[in-house]
Amino acid sequence: MNGILIIIGKLIVAILRLFKRNAGNLPGIVLWHLTGGKCCKMFKVSCPIIAVTGTNGKTSVTNCIAQLFERSGKKIIINKEGNNLDTGICSLLLRHCSCSGKVDADYLILETDESHVPVVYSQLKLETLVVLNFFRDQLDRNGEMETLIQKINGFCKTFDGNLLLNGDDPNTARLGRANPNNKNVKYFHAEPYAFATKTIFEASEGRFCPFCGEPLEYEYYQYSHIGKFKCGKCGFGDSVPYITAEKIDLEKPVFTADSHEYSPKLNSIYNIYNMTAVAGAAKLYGIEQKITDSVISEYTVNNGRMETFMLGDRRTTLNLAKNPVGANMTLRVMNEMQGEKELLFVLNDNVADGLDVSWIWDINFSVFERVTRVVTSGTRAYDIAVRIKCSGYPAEKIVVRPDLDEAVTELAATDGRKFVIANYTAVQPTRAALKRYIEKHGGKHE
Amino acid sequence: MSKIKILHMYADMLDLYGDSGNMEIISYRCKMRGIECIVDKYSIDSEQPDFSSYDLIYIGGGADLEQQHISEDLQKCGDGIRAAYKNGTFLFLICGGYQLMGKHYRDADGVDIPGLGLFDYYTIAEPNRRKRCIGNVVVRTEFTGKTVDIVGFENHGGQTQGVKTPLGSVIYGHGNCTKSSHEGYFEKNVIATYMHGPCLAKNPEVSDYIIGYCLDRGSNEKTVLNALDDKLEKDCRQVMIDRLLNK
Repeated sequence: MNGILIIIGKLIVAILRLFKRNAGNLPGIVLWHLTGGKCCKMFKVSCPIIAVTGTNGKTSVTNCIAQLFERSGKKIIINKEGNNLDTGICSLLLRHCSCSGKVDADYLILETDESHVPVVYSQLKLETLVVLNFFRDQLDRNGEMETLIQKINGFCKTFDGNLLLNGDDPNTARLGRANPNNKNVKYFHAEPYAFATKTIFEASEGRFCPFCGEPLEYEYYQYSHIGKFKCGKCGFGDSVPYITAEKIDLEKPVFTADSHEYSPKLNSIYNIYNMTAVAGAAKLYGIEQKITDSVISEYTVNNGRMETFMLGDRRTTLNLAKNPVGANMTLRVMNEMQGEKELLFVLNDNVADGLDVSWIWDINFSVFERVTRVVTSGTRAYDIAVRIKCSGYPAEKIVVRPDLDEAVTELAATDGRKFVIANYTAVQPTRAALKRYIEKHGGKHE
Repeated sequence: MSKIKILHMYADMLDLYGDSGNMEIISYRCKMRGIECIVDKYSIDSEQPDFSSYDLIYIGGGADLEQQHISEDLQKCGDGIRAAYKNGTFLFLICGGYQLMGKHYRDADGVDIPGLGLFDYYTIAEPNRRKRCIGNVVVRTEFTGKTVDIVGFENHGGQTQGVKTPLGSVIYGHGNCTKSSHEGYFEKNVIATYMHGPCLAKNPEVSDYIIGYCLDRGSNEKTVLNALDDKLEKDCRQVMIDRLLNK
């Protein structure tokens, strides 16, 4: 039976390719129906599987961990296009397996959607799970936050493989207690950086101890609810880190872990957390130091995550923000930069965005500094305009342009530094509009 | 300078889909008119405030777990809130806040959380967690004296029954129960609704109804609020109404 299913799947992949269509998800969807929802079960995977999950940073960390092994001369399989549901992973394995379903590689490195961790790894044996953070994201798809954490917690109760957790996120760190018999629970942690605060700065979850309900005490907050926390009653948060990022300096940017200095390219605190997770995975698998150095120092992204465009001579930084945390991070980077600047915010409410846009009210716009004008665009251009207005920003400095090309032209109409924030389905159309502007009026896409 | 005093209850636990934004909007609209707006916060184990001294008590929505967390504490505030309501304090209640002022809330696991019983309605959560009322919602209201279609976002499993005086009739979306004809609960000093978004973002008339009521509380005068430029808010709402009703 498995053989037949795999051949059907491979045929669909071949047909889609013949028509030059992306076979990223559809073959898996067909097999999901044919197998009654167990589309990953038919594969024979004998190599170790490493999965990365969490709300923010999955793609970055998955790619970096894959690089660690690839540069060590290992054969790896990775879901590069971010097809991270069970059907996406099934489609990936279909492309890489023999007709008997045997998958040939040294390591499988899989970005996995938070809600699909229990689904996929009840079917495939997992060796290592890296959990980065849990933030409000597309709430109405995943159900509420707590339900999501409960699902992964349920999986962790019987999991005895490596669990590499963000020790500074109470939502994540609590998974370390799910299976008291698991000796392979490890935490990554970061010492405070220059903009860490004593009080909380942005809307957040997880203010209460999940075990005894006491308010958590924080020594410092790095961003949102990420920071050094402890429950005064039951000691939750009091774990010894496996790896710690210290001497963080985002100006350069550099950080030190296990007395070794790393120089990542991206200068945000959440990138430091991601790279600390990568360094933690490297430590776990005994990767050569010079390989880890090269991966961490070379990693950059060009998919709308702090991507640079020159609109004529006007430097423009585009960043994806799927949720308030991502948006707040961009606003921080924007504020920490000297001089005047303008912001374009592109907000869509397509199905993949989660239909509802109320998360924009959890963005802290009152911190705006030297922002001389705001342009809004996307299917919910007016919603973001109203939100920014009600934070106290002068309404006369807000321009609504639902059409993206008009919005980019409006943004480029003045001199100076520009920032663009786009949510999930808005990123690619925004990149395309920026490129169209450059083609027509000159400039450069770096 | 005129002044309104607000008590925002359980802001740290009941804050779904931008609910805290409602306080930002009320504060903003007061500030633009030179009205002083004080927002005090109350959470579990805070000292019991004098509820009746507030013009407005506001409670947002939360997940089942958070509602269980606060329900015991809420009972302790029961007498205070009831007295304030009878004394004319305005109650603005979203989702969980709405449910907990009724007789009871039975959650998806069948566990009964007692409400304060201020009003006759009660809520039973749909036992199948996947069957929720989710999406944009348009509600036709008359309470401001004019017909106003208001737009919000609902996401609730709870089915609220026994509402005698709803906030409005459903033009698009679900309302109090799956595919129901009415949404929310209304009295002259109570607006209770499932609308998040936050509820006031695109509906300045609702904000101003609440602000106007608070200013006039305990007096016979009728304050006329200065008009604000609400073009962005109204355009925002119209775009959604046109889209949802295929105009």
